Amino acid sequence: MEWDFTAAFSNIDLLLLGLLNTLKVTGLALCLGIPLGLVLALTRLTHLRPLSLLAAFIIEFFRTTPPLVQLFWFFFAFPILFDINMTAFTAAIVTFSIQSSAFFAEIFRSGIQSIDHGQWEGAKAIGMTRQQSLKRVILPQAVKRMIPAFMERSIELLKTTTLVSTIAYTDLMYQANDLAQKTFRPLEVYSVVALIYFMLIFSVSQLSILIERRLARSGEGTVH
Amino acid sequence: MDYNWDFATIIQNWRVFWTGLQGTLLMFSVTVALGMSGGFIVGVMRYLKSPLIAWPARAFVEFFRNVPVLVQIVWFYYAFPILTGIETSPFLAAVLGISLNTMAFSAEIYRAGIQSIDAGQWEAGKAIGMSFQQTLRRIIMPVALKRVLPALTNRGIEVFKMSTLASVVAYVETLNQAKLIADLNYNPIESYTAVALIFFVVLFPVVQATYALERVLKRGDR
Repeated sequence: MEWDFTAAFSNIDLLLLGLLNTLKVTGLALCLGIPLGLVLALTRLTHLRPLSLLAAFIIEFFRTTPPLVQLFWFFFAFPILFDINMTAFTAAIVTFSIQSSAFFAEIFRSGIQSIDHGQWEGAKAIGMTRQQSLKRVILPQAVKRMIPAFMERSIELLKTTTLVSTIAYTDLMYQANDLAQKTFRPLEVYSVVALIYFMLIFSVSQLSILIERRLARSGEGTVH
Repeated sequence: MDYNWDFATIIQNWRVFWTGLQGTLLMFSVTVALGMSGGFIVGVMRYLKSPLIAWPARAFVEFFRNVPVLVQIVWFYYAFPILTGIETSPFLAAVLGISLNTMAFSAEIYRAGIQSIDAGQWEAGKAIGMSFQQTLRRIIMPVALKRVLPALTNRGIEVFKMSTLASVVAYVETLNQAKLIADLNYNPIESYTAVALIFFVVLFPVVQATYALERVLKRGDR
């Protein structure tokens, strides 16, 4: 067996384009998934029973079904059902935003619930409404505790985006499949791509460990 | 939304889905067994003081935790045979990819469990003349395992969902079978909805059980 990396290295621009698309999907899904997660968490925490049950159902459904099944559903079934056009990119964004929002919702919920009840009462005592106390008193404290869990989830999302290659969106994984087939060098191409993913995700997780330590030093508890 | 749902073809083809579910269950049992037992060994290695043992374990954990599972499965399917000359079937490639990933994740869970035990327990074991192995088996692990049980069951649920990735290398599991039905009968809506429902029906009770388990364990700690 002889290693020959020329095929992988001379096409590195294609792989980097794929990497860029991977980051694009991850970034957009995060931007949409986090606010959606907050909405889901707040709905789950309301005292209106039907609303809170509905939110709980959505969260549980998207947490217990495999992301690949969700992606296929949004790509193959959803467009026929609602008679709209859906590119691989839109299907990916929709799937991963909703999927990660279900996980983010649980992080928000445990963060909000970890704040001592006295804080709510204190805010109420000085005349704040529920919304005001949430925005000015509870969330600022809760979000700080949630940061490590957020980072962990974002790393998971980054890894999950490889699934978009199965519906032919040109992310890093798709480019790798394409290149491996065209150059007949799957060993080198897939090894290089595994290394690219490793370096990217490893640096992000090291960063998150650093942030977690910094938070621990400032005396903040964390939630998971 | 005036689509006419028609689950008749799905029900007619229930055997195809059943074969798929059996494939999913087989993949899950093999990967969870290999991943969680192998992860135990790596987790203990990671805890040991000797750098000669701890370092390879750390490298293993970091590598397999930080590479997406799909990349690992595809690597084992297309690249591994060229490197070693060993043919990997879709089943073997998926088992290797998913179990190595699970080993890395569960190793960290076991390590956290062992580390959460007070050092005095180790000293007490040593004081009454137990070897490292004996202390680990008789004193540390019974308590540590109880503490990490919720984390392990959560990992197990993730592994169950991960089994769908095996469909990418054409291993016969639930999603792969749904794809087949969808292509043959032109009913992607019903087929993929059916898979989503199958997973939900199987996993939802398990998730609820883990919540109950966590509550019971918490109460036991008090």
